[in-house]
Amino acid sequence: MEILATHRLSFTYPNATIPALKDISIQVKQGEFVVLCGPSGSGKSTLLRLFKPEIAPHGIKEGTLFFQGKPLQEVTPIVNAKELGMVFQDPENQIAMDNVLEELIFGMENLGFTTEQMRKKVAEMVNFFGLNPLLDKKIDELSGGQKQLLNLASILLLEPSVLLLDEPTAQLDPIAAKEFIHMLQRLNEEFGITIVIVEHRLEELFPIASRVILFDNGVLLHDTTPREMVKELGTHKTMKSFLPSSALLYLEFYKKAHAETIPLNVKETRQWLQGEHVEWDEPSEVSSAAAVPSPILELKEVDYQYSKNTPAVLYNLDLTIYEGEWLAIVGANGTGKSTLLKVIGGILKAQHGSMKYKGKKVRKWEPRKVSYLPQNPKLFFIQDTIRKEFEHLALKHGERNPEERIQNLLNKFGIAHLQNQHPYDLSGGELQKAALIGSLLVEPTILLIDEPTKGLDPESKRAFGELVATLVKEGLTVVMVTHDIEFSATYATRCSMLFQGKITVTENTRDFFHENTYYTTVLNRATRNSSAYPVVTLEEARRIWRVKSPF
Amino acid sequence: MVRGFRSFHPIILLLYYLFAMAALMLYQHPMFLALATVAILLMNFMLDGGLELRKWRAMILIMAVLTLVLTPFFNQRGNHLLFYLFEKQVYLEAIWQGVMISLTLVCILTLFLTFNLVITPDKFVFLFSKIMPQWALLTMLSLRFVPLLRKRLLEIGDVQSIKGFSLKTGSVKGRAQSGMLFLQTLLTWSLEESIQTADSMTARGYGLGKRSKYQPYYMKKRDWLAFAFLLVSGSLVLFGWWLGDGVLTLLPVLEPVWLSGREWLYWILFFMMIGFPIWTEGKEMVKWKFLRRIG
Repeated sequence: MEILATHRLSFTYPNATIPALKDISIQVKQGEFVVLCGPSGSGKSTLLRLFKPEIAPHGIKEGTLFFQGKPLQEVTPIVNAKELGMVFQDPENQIAMDNVLEELIFGMENLGFTTEQMRKKVAEMVNFFGLNPLLDKKIDELSGGQKQLLNLASILLLEPSVLLLDEPTAQLDPIAAKEFIHMLQRLNEEFGITIVIVEHRLEELFPIASRVILFDNGVLLHDTTPREMVKELGTHKTMKSFLPSSALLYLEFYKKAHAETIPLNVKETRQWLQGEHVEWDEPSEVSSAAAVPSPILELKEVDYQYSKNTPAVLYNLDLTIYEGEWLAIVGANGTGKSTLLKVIGGILKAQHGSMKYKGKKVRKWEPRKVSYLPQNPKLFFIQDTIRKEFEHLALKHGERNPEERIQNLLNKFGIAHLQNQHPYDLSGGELQKAALIGSLLVEPTILLIDEPTKGLDPESKRAFGELVATLVKEGLTVVMVTHDIEFSATYATRCSMLFQGKITVTENTRDFFHENTYYTTVLNRATRNSSAYPVVTLEEARRIWRVKSPF
Repeated sequence: MVRGFRSFHPIILLLYYLFAMAALMLYQHPMFLALATVAILLMNFMLDGGLELRKWRAMILIMAVLTLVLTPFFNQRGNHLLFYLFEKQVYLEAIWQGVMISLTLVCILTLFLTFNLVITPDKFVFLFSKIMPQWALLTMLSLRFVPLLRKRLLEIGDVQSIKGFSLKTGSVKGRAQSGMLFLQTLLTWSLEESIQTADSMTARGYGLGKRSKYQPYYMKKRDWLAFAFLLVSGSLVLFGWWLGDGVLTLLPVLEPVWLSGREWLYWILFFMMIGFPIWTEGKEMVKWKFLRRIG
């Protein structure tokens, strides 16, 4: 039975000339797991919101939306609130109350449940989600992943028949994201809840989705099964980056593959590789004769504690950063990655240890030496438009010829047309670039980047990665902390693992991921100990595997 | 202790505090007030081992001593002239009055310390929501914003300090300018983010119909018993005040401070009522000790 449907739906935002959605007709059957994907601004979130009239964007709507066969305007708001549960992107902002229990019952209170009903439902839900230890906690004691599970639980208490999710894992670290997606899979399989999810992180979603719908510029491009989608997009120039890496590897071999044979996860890739004979060129050792770069920043025996009574976040940490490298610092949540970056940036002062810049001890940074790109690029801006921000910054640091330099950078990064916009009106990728310009304006030698890929779609991620890679080639030293293994594997030159307040290992990116068994890329997990030479990235496979297509 | 004083229904607890406050203000008699001071101090120790009391003890002591010393100095009425101080008469009546005022102060302040321990914020919001449900919701929503705004302002400060805009260094004018910009950013940013909070509240049906309120507390048998006890002892204590048994007459003739006859009965009743937390909490403490010995 169809539970959600649209018929020739178009939508145009006020003052926009091009519609955000054009003539969309889709049907979602009960119990389906549907993934909506596409680049930012392709209209997928708009579509999701149109199903909730109370929070739908303003604009001109044509065509009809249906819920259980009835036009949406005939569904009462109460039924809509109960039956269509919606989870949003930011885990923090969705929470209204200040403790977990109050937040869980918020929706039920709105719909007038009695105390006995609430008590019973909460008991059930807390057991299912394992929220027991959290029940009496304040919201600000929870991690991002816990917050997002709480949001999901508080929606599920209303017993919705459809879950609409708008990039629910974009702000989570990979482990929390996986846990969240597994929870969705359970809800779909064990309770038959229909799921419609908008997401950029497709590696985990492709294997469990029953359908994938691809949008581009408000137009529905494809509506098909995940495997068919791989086949359709395998040849597409930009949309390709949405596909799981195992599928992309397969497509390197079989350009015209049969949909049902395409592997979507590690297990399937390994099975496929078993029956395959792959030849490879032994990778030539990178000439170690190249000039050893000189260290630009040395940290020795650094300790950091937030307060006297809390355990040390960084303890006896040594780290050397070389000139012109892109160092990625990876590690699990709460290992102190961001703290380390703040210590390097001088925001936090280490209680013990020393930091040397080109052999000289650092007491206080001059702003020309080090710059910082925060996790949330919105925080970078304190002026109304991005151009004003740059001028303000240039004035502060007494930059000569600021106008020329600002325009040069704006043109180089391709966002010159946005310079008079308010920073909050920019998309995630654009904002990231704008903040990057701001941090480069003072011509720093070291750039610190905190978690740059959070919430970016694959295309913006690639654009950002390549941009920073060019800057590194031009001589900038970049230190980045991230959860994004695939991103580090593709772009960083060296990788460090932070564990228990120390850097446990620092190696060239390739060696680093090659030697890891669990903390490594999907492709490495798929190809290690297989018949083929193990690779870390698709790029590497392309380079050293001698791919012979049987077709 | 799950079944101690704190486990009573918040309304019962509030009722106790109302009665206790009233009794402390009405019973202006050194013997009664001294008893209350002992009882309330004991209650403080039973509830949290005197931790909260230790934080406030200096201030309470200073206030008590000041009133004790200053009252006789300003109150110049009485029959028993004791001595002259700086050419002012000091009367016995005024000294007794000073004792009573400072004991009342100590009692009320220390009672309020236990109030904070017993009526926790969630119980407070519960009581509040009984009277004004809309305002209680608003309070809950704003409670969430306090740590959030604090965290955000810190984040802004961190990021901006690397850019060279800091509140800690530079000229006063520059710092003030940065501060204003930070606050402005905090405001725009938070407004922007709270649109999402509003969306999420609307998506969960906020404002569609009459809201119900989850009742985390309900009246149990022991709550009704406590209610009856407080009502009976409270009215008797009020009756005693009406009879004049708990008030020390200072003028025109100073009454003997030591109690006599029926006054002792009210003294015990007063102690029973003020000491209600001591019975309920003490019973549990004894039980624990006893149980542990068996184990």
